[in-house]
Amino acid sequence: MTCMSTFCVFLHLFLLTSEASSSTQPPLAPITPLKTDVRSIKIELVNPVNLTLECTWTGNQNKLPNITSYWTKDGEEIQNSQLSVQFHNGQYNIKQVQHFVSIVSRSFPSVPQIGEVRDKPIISYMGDSAVLTCKMDDKKPKPNTWNWYRHNGTEKEQINVTVEPHRYEIKNKEEKTETRLVVNNLTEADSGLYSCGAVYAIGTTMSHVELKVIAFMEPLKPFIVIMVEVVVLVAAILLYEKSQSKKKVTTGS
Amino acid sequence: MPPPAATNLGYTPPDGGWGWAVVFGAFISIGFSYAFPKSLTIYFKEIQEYFSVSYSQIAWVSSVMLASMYAGGPISSMLVNRYGSRPVVLAGGIMVCTGMVLASFGTSIIHLYLCVGVIGGFGLAFNLQPALTIIGTYFQAKRPLANGLAMTGSPVVLFTLAPLNQFLFDSFGWRGSFLILGSIVMNCCVAGALMRPVNKRVKPKPTNESPKCNGGAEEAETVNTGTPPANLLNEESQTASKGQSNVHKLIDISLFKHRGFLIYLAGNVIMFFGFFAPVVFLAPYAKHLGIDEYSAAFLLSIFALVDMFIRPATGFIGNTKWVRPRIQYFFSFAVSYNGVCHLLCPLASGYLGLVVYAVFFGLAFGMLSALLFEVLMDLVGANRFSSAVGLVTIIECGPVLLGPPLSGALVDIFGDYKYMYYACGVFMLAPGIFFFIMHYYNYKKLDEEQRQSVATEMKTSEETVKLKMNQDEKRVDGTDG
Repeated sequence: MTCMSTFCVFLHLFLLTSEASSSTQPPLAPITPLKTDVRSIKIELVNPVNLTLECTWTGNQNKLPNITSYWTKDGEEIQNSQLSVQFHNGQYNIKQVQHFVSIVSRSFPSVPQIGEVRDKPIISYMGDSAVLTCKMDDKKPKPNTWNWYRHNGTEKEQINVTVEPHRYEIKNKEEKTETRLVVNNLTEADSGLYSCGAVYAIGTTMSHVELKVIAFMEPLKPFIVIMVEVVVLVAAILLYEKSQSKKKVTTGS
Repeated sequence: MPPPAATNLGYTPPDGGWGWAVVFGAFISIGFSYAFPKSLTIYFKEIQEYFSVSYSQIAWVSSVMLASMYAGGPISSMLVNRYGSRPVVLAGGIMVCTGMVLASFGTSIIHLYLCVGVIGGFGLAFNLQPALTIIGTYFQAKRPLANGLAMTGSPVVLFTLAPLNQFLFDSFGWRGSFLILGSIVMNCCVAGALMRPVNKRVKPKPTNESPKCNGGAEEAETVNTGTPPANLLNEESQTASKGQSNVHKLIDISLFKHRGFLIYLAGNVIMFFGFFAPVVFLAPYAKHLGIDEYSAAFLLSIFALVDMFIRPATGFIGNTKWVRPRIQYFFSFAVSYNGVCHLLCPLASGYLGLVVYAVFFGLAFGMLSALLFEVLMDLVGANRFSSAVGLVTIIECGPVLLGPPLSGALVDIFGDYKYMYYACGVFMLAPGIFFFIMHYYNYKKLDEEQRQSVATEMKTSEETVKLKMNQDEKRVDGTDG
């Protein structure tokens, strides 16, 4: 570990997991001391935790000046984090005090996967029903529940099944790793962006998918075009054959 | 060109001309028959979610389609024997189209089994058999080449359908795609329109077809210019008429007494257990070795590309004068080569090793596919080919359907792919060696029979010439006296 000044600072992270169940002493799990050049670590959280960041000044106690330290988050000073450290008098060379910014990224369990990983819209037909599925990876923690949202312009509104039970159905799997939204009796107005949210104690992660509702006329057009092509070709080939055999008959065997 | 060991047709196949248009038609029909079931798998994930079924239930659609295609073989053969290739292919095209259109309105997975699986599968059967049969009627001398070219339809159509299906899926979802695929498959009817029944009124040319009695043949020709086959060719016309009466029978069960047919059948039944499984498991095996999805898919593309080019090449080689008379050995070599390829596959390490394997496997698979029906034609002759291929496909139905699931079971039990590859290798190498031995014996027997028939023909020709000379003398005496 390199020291930037005559003072060395160790930074420890203590994770205090708060268990919902009764436990006398919350376990103290020190995460390895951060080196000065490590700027961020990533922790996956499911439930809220109490996180303690500890900044320790070590070095020669006799030669430390009066230093005020404080914590910042995202560049802004956190209130009531100032601490005065009293030291003995003396001559000291103080080099720059580093901001030991340890950013713990607040990370949710990975985002749920909608159906097949695709950025293309799901196509469905008017009057038909569409099935949107959202899956959470088996290896990741399971969500408590699922929510589905419909995007209306810039806003998002949650789909409430009880309001229109015959239009929307939400089916969740037993193990909560999968959810299914069935939209019945589709109309063009149902096209748009849908989101599924996996709800955890710590928050909700979302995935989006686009649903496109088209009329049955759409595929019918290429269908008719190709059928016409087939009929034309078959007629042409058979006519050609007829004309060939007529030629043979007229020229004689 | 030395004649193959087959019965005479009773007419001269054009070996060209409209025959090449027929090859193109067969190319399309065969292409759709083999590639269509494989290319539908792109839609399975979405259909599975739509109907809320498990993956194995969806995979049944493919299996039912394949089973129907193979089970429909004998029915197809009977219809071809009765009506010729063209009506059957036209009917087949319309059937598959109907099946797909009905499926696009499907409301349950059973609906899909029936429409795509049964109707679609039978429609494809009505495309495959007639396409193979008609090549035999148009080609004799250039038949291996024609067969090789026609069989190239399978990889080419698959190569085209795969990205096309993806595009259709992204634009129209599975229902619209099924509808449009129904119309695309109607192009089989165009292929059917090309399958003009061959002109059988052309007189047979003895110098091309009859074996070694050249002297007798020429004499007969000079004596009988305008009349149909002379006494010398009596035997040939007899076999020709027998062949035609077979044609009018529904299906030729007497094939089960045919030595060559039995050899082919026995070997093929074993071989098909290990034939398709390696193709099915190539990508999963690659992923198992830690290769990413796109590179694994690329392996299949390499395989298909090599396959595409080797099929016509094999047809060409099979046509050369060194290989054609002993083409059964070429086929045996192709089968054994497949087996060796699979046995060596577990030695392939890393992506480069798998690429090498994909190339060699593509070569093997293409060679075998190009020759698969050519050797059957070579063994039983073009007249009985239609019935033969019908019987062969329905018997092969079992191994074709059981092969991949059994291999999958092997993988699951041992948790390793190499035992599956060993098993497939053995299932292909054993028939290969079997073919080599049996065909050596068969060729010897055929040569013997040939020599015997030539000897009897020489005798009868001498006798008839003597008889004619006696008759002429008597007439001369009669007019004189």
